[in-house]
Amino acid sequence: MKLSERYNRVNLIATVVIMLITGAIYYQAISLILTDQKDKSLEVEEQEIFDYVKLNHRLPQVFESKDQQISFTSAEPNSVKREFINTGYYREKDEPESGRGLISSVNVNGRFYKIEIVESKVETEDLIQIIFGITIGVILLLLLVLLITNRLILSRLWQPFHSILGELKQFKVTDNSDIAPLNTRIDEFNDLHQEVTAMAERVKRDYKDLKTFTENASHELLTPIAVINSKLDTLIQTENFSQQQSKLLGDLYGAVSRLTRLNQSLLLLVKIENKLLTDQQSINLKELIEELLYQLEDIFGDKMITISASLQDKEITASRYLVDILLNNLIINAVRHNHEDGEIIINLTEDSLSVKNTGENTSLDNERIFTRFHKSSTSEGSGLGLTISKQICESLGYELVYSYEAPHHSFMVRF
Amino acid sequence: MKILIVEDEEGLRESIEEYFADAGNICETVATYQAALAKIQLYRYDCILLDITLPGGSGIDILKALKANNFPDGVLIISAKNSLDDRLQGLDLGADDYLVKPFHLSELKARVSAIVRRKMFNGSNVLNFNELSIDLMAKTVTVNGTPVKFTRKELSLLIYFISNKGKVISKNAIAEHLWGDGIDMANNFDFIYSHIKNVRKKIMEAGGKDYIYAAYGMGYKFADQ
Repeated sequence: MKLSERYNRVNLIATVVIMLITGAIYYQAISLILTDQKDKSLEVEEQEIFDYVKLNHRLPQVFESKDQQISFTSAEPNSVKREFINTGYYREKDEPESGRGLISSVNVNGRFYKIEIVESKVETEDLIQIIFGITIGVILLLLLVLLITNRLILSRLWQPFHSILGELKQFKVTDNSDIAPLNTRIDEFNDLHQEVTAMAERVKRDYKDLKTFTENASHELLTPIAVINSKLDTLIQTENFSQQQSKLLGDLYGAVSRLTRLNQSLLLLVKIENKLLTDQQSINLKELIEELLYQLEDIFGDKMITISASLQDKEITASRYLVDILLNNLIINAVRHNHEDGEIIINLTEDSLSVKNTGENTSLDNERIFTRFHKSSTSEGSGLGLTISKQICESLGYELVYSYEAPHHSFMVRF
Repeated sequence: MKILIVEDEEGLRESIEEYFADAGNICETVATYQAALAKIQLYRYDCILLDITLPGGSGIDILKALKANNFPDGVLIISAKNSLDDRLQGLDLGADDYLVKPFHLSELKARVSAIVRRKMFNGSNVLNFNELSIDLMAKTVTVNGTPVKFTRKELSLLIYFISNKGKVISKNAIAEHLWGDGIDMANNFDFIYSHIKNVRKKIMEAGGKDYIYAAYGMGYKFADQ
């Protein structure tokens, strides 16, 4: 729910409730005042009757008035209690109207009479209705104004917020562009903008530091590795090594090349994650795969792995370097985790590329195979190959999925 | 061959010098940008091994100076920087090749030989070793004048061996040369053995001598002993 919508809802409900309560109080107050006025007018009438009786010693003549009816009835002395009542007012031909009456008594020449004075309350009610109508009108008008205000003014008020949000959405640590300046007089948004800008600066600086550090560290690491490698190459020229020494040298070579690959893999991951490899070119995947299969055929042969490839033409636009690495990783993985006399099935269609291979008879952990440094106990790799493949796919907007259908492990890239 | 090694890392510089000097190549070494600049103004080399990050300046600027003066020296950039931009920048500026550290000295030697051959013979040249003769353009091999059919990898292996003749080449170096550094199967080098066996067999069947010697489990050596 949007803030303005939420705000509107609360605001409207509160307004309506308050208006209704006010209306009720208003209604009560006005009807009290009006009733009081009616009562006073009834008392005046009563007083007039008393005055008339005192002066003339007889009951005044009852005449038909528009809004007032007076009636006298004889009654037992002291049987009538003076009181104001709400009653009906009957006008000829018309529907009964509500009225206010005063019951009183008078003593005329020793005879006791009950006086009933009733006045119509129609006018009062009309008044109340008008007031009520106006109140409702005001409520509706207020609601309308509120809605319009919220629509127009709120959205204009929030505009700086949205522009900050837009900047944040577009923010990339690798970009050199800064957060655009904000033109608003609202303090909160200015504060927010200031903080966001400061944070962006900080993040960028940290990122730059980290990037420089990674690059320098990797560079500094590669230099000694290069020295070790070249010294080993020089060392083996001196010949006449025993078998044991040769084995040691072989292990050293292996360790150095693993170190090299690990370093390169980490660097590559950093580059992919930060989208530093952005070169684009048109690539024919079919040709690339065929080339790779030719390149690796003796490795398949060595493990006696059967390759079956069904390849359709598929052109993509991507970084050649990344696609090379992706294909290499997938196919080499399929060889490495295969067993002797196993098979690899490669399927390239318009929508997907799948590499299936035989291997261990259990499914891999789908959750964890793509995490860094996760590898099976038998693997000789760095545990970064699949992470890199996944990252490459994500950076190209593809999806990499693993599935196991005995006896095949399958990795599928969905374009 | 006359080679200039521009490299600030002493250990690496010495190893390269030693590796190249053995086979009768003349090597000069410098460690700084200024020294390198001075050298290239005075002398010509068949190939310059150029590190990019140098004390005092960038190897790229030395490359620019070479090109600005139209000096014909071959240039092989050796650098630990391997981003595509760096590679392209180097190659666009006229470097002949780009090798990323760390590398095997045998790989470096093979690349340098290729550059020098290209410079000297304009690419269409024949590589001779005793009774072996390889036409690098046509990619054909003759032994004592008889053509022998080699696969692409066997040919690449033979050229690699001849470029490093007299040197022991580690199995790692051979694997990385044939399959690229993407290959990550360090513990299984049996497939190298089968290639070497084929090369050896093909040469011998055509009446050539066996020049390939195994150096225990460590590697192989191509030599005329």
